[in-house]
Amino acid sequence: MKKIILLMAAMALVSSVAFAAELEYLQVYTPKDGMTADEIMQIEYFVKYTKFARDIELLGKAYLIDKSGAVRERETLRRRITLGRKSDDIAYKDLVMFTGPTQVKGLATLAWTYMNSKRQQNSWLWVPSLKKIRKISAANADDSFMGSDFTVEDILTRRFEDETYTLLREESFKGYLCEFDKKTYFKDAPCFVIESKPTRSPWYYSKRILWVDKNTGGGIYEEMYDPLGRMFKTIFKDFQIYNVNGKEYATQVLLEGRDLRTGHRTVIINSDIKFDQDLSEDLFTEMALMQSRW
Amino acid sequence: MKRYALVLLLFLLYGYTYAAERISLSGYIKNETSIRIKDFNNDLTKAKNIVELAGEYKIKDDDLVFFAKVKYWYDAMYDSREEYDSGQHYQGHIQRTDWVRDCYIDYTRNPWFLRLGKQQVAWGQADGIPILDRVNPFDLTEYWLQDFVDMRIPLWMANINYSPKLNSNLQLLIIPDFEQSTAAYPYSPFVFYSTTRFENWRKAQTNVDLNIYYPEKKFENSTFGLQWSDRIGDLNYTLNFLSGYYYSVRNYTIFVSPGNWRVNRSFKRWKMYGTSMNKTFTNPGPLQGITLRGDFAYYDDEPMYWGDPVIASSSGIKRLDNIFWLMGLDKYVVTNWLVSFQYAQYILQNSKPGATTPQKNYFFNPYTYGPQDPLEHIFSLKISTDFMNERLKPELLWSFTDDNQGRLSPKLTYEMKDNLWLTLGIHYFYGNLWDSNGQFRDQSQFYTQVKYTF
Repeated sequence: MKKIILLMAAMALVSSVAFAAELEYLQVYTPKDGMTADEIMQIEYFVKYTKFARDIELLGKAYLIDKSGAVRERETLRRRITLGRKSDDIAYKDLVMFTGPTQVKGLATLAWTYMNSKRQQNSWLWVPSLKKIRKISAANADDSFMGSDFTVEDILTRRFEDETYTLLREESFKGYLCEFDKKTYFKDAPCFVIESKPTRSPWYYSKRILWVDKNTGGGIYEEMYDPLGRMFKTIFKDFQIYNVNGKEYATQVLLEGRDLRTGHRTVIINSDIKFDQDLSEDLFTEMALMQSRW
Repeated sequence: MKRYALVLLLFLLYGYTYAAERISLSGYIKNETSIRIKDFNNDLTKAKNIVELAGEYKIKDDDLVFFAKVKYWYDAMYDSREEYDSGQHYQGHIQRTDWVRDCYIDYTRNPWFLRLGKQQVAWGQADGIPILDRVNPFDLTEYWLQDFVDMRIPLWMANINYSPKLNSNLQLLIIPDFEQSTAAYPYSPFVFYSTTRFENWRKAQTNVDLNIYYPEKKFENSTFGLQWSDRIGDLNYTLNFLSGYYYSVRNYTIFVSPGNWRVNRSFKRWKMYGTSMNKTFTNPGPLQGITLRGDFAYYDDEPMYWGDPVIASSSGIKRLDNIFWLMGLDKYVVTNWLVSFQYAQYILQNSKPGATTPQKNYFFNPYTYGPQDPLEHIFSLKISTDFMNERLKPELLWSFTDDNQGRLSPKLTYEMKDNLWLTLGIHYFYGNLWDSNGQFRDQSQFYTQVKYTF
């Protein structure tokens, strides 16, 4: 009997891995009832990194709000091209160009992310004060992303393989009251609730409790817990469906991160989102960075 | 009539809206103040006010774009301190056409990219040490303390790029314009010791007839540059070539009669062959996360003075084939602490320890006319991090050589608001008077910068 259970468990694991392997780039996936936590999270990551779309371009505006309510802003133009190319192992390339405020205007980073999850990103930085490109080491995953309350891995580098997952329950989301626009989002949205534990230990968080929206596959809300088990951060993401050439792309349009220890908040609003414009890969090269005028 | 006026108004409004979408403007005003640390008694060494305005106009989307940047500054210190009066004319405000920092047109049509106009081009991977970064001359009136974007003197040039395949690029530079690198004038805080020594000698003479011969304005006197960039696996590399006039002037002194001299200043042609590389170790292993950077340059016919450094008496100029190379390592340690280390060697032609030991037969350090080591070891260490959601950014830079001379520069930048930034810092110099940094050992300073952007 034990053997049969073991065999079934092994088969389940194999099928889960097989599912992971089957997630083809440039396809649209949504989670279904009955899926395992791993299968749901594969889709969640797929949606997070817009691997369903060949390319995306958007304007981002970040509001960094401290405890006293003082606000700093950052404006960016972001582009991503999805490649999923086995020949050079490149999954996708990201370009983030700061367009405001003036002090950081022109600063741009180019990052190549590899399909091999063990590899770090390759990154380049255009430094306006030097007027040159600097090859930079990949930022540490637990470093702040652009001074926000999100870490680099929250936004850019966390992979499916970096955590283990347990499906806690399925429930209707109670709704999220966004402090920024005072709107309530995703009230009663059907969700999978998943506990994610980092494989890396010790790490700055011990677990995340993540609500994955059944309709979009997006991780709409998460609570992060420190190594002592105390909740220290919450992240909310509003997803909207974009209809592109008959395909439905789930896209992050608003993110709100709250650091419960410092009272600092970050809101990122994505606008002018354009998919599948057939962006040239030439835009994601050192040469493109070098052409910066600012 | 009213109808025509309305149509005209609508047309103008449309034109304005149309243009507004294509125009982007920004700028800043900034105050830089520094106080000498030695004899700390309101010894002001800089009270510089800067205004800079930049704008781009997209003539045809991103394919054809005009960009310009202008800058003006005034340093009130020269007007407020008598001992610096003599330097006021040259260092109190921006000189000649230096106020045009950028003025060019970009034309993009894959695989071509052209940038035509006044601009600066930076080559190489070194941080703060210009090994391959020799396309533009430098403004060293504040030694190497300014940002490189402010130190490079822009030149009118054709910057032609052709990308035959993804991630590769061939760059051709044709630079008919010529400007010389500028050093601080006598009676200013960062005047080179070599300048002071020359001035002292000049004052001791009855008459010194000083003549400067700039390169004649003709095409063959242009500077030409060529750079090939490509990747091999994860390694980015460039191959570089530059041929043109050396931007630092060289004196040729002629004895006329006792106390009377003629000094002819001219510029020599030289060539630079070089290569640069960078690589980040992305695969798992002990090196993962480390970025390796390197520059290598072979200076062909670099003009150097030689003679007796004790009395700064030059015996003439020799053309040497020198080597300058650097390796740098960067790594983030403990979340957001970036450690960056560089090691460089500047090797004079055929040099070996003792090769220039006979008195009166040294090559000169161009900054001081002190003796130039035949083999100079240069180090730099930079540690930077941030706090308060990147609002507070401390940084420490220590650059030094094997001659126990160097500079220690801690600084703290604080973002008060989106458009208001405050920087506090210290430049501490140490070493021998004959050494590049040591010559400013009495000029160590505490400084503040307040920048308002718009």
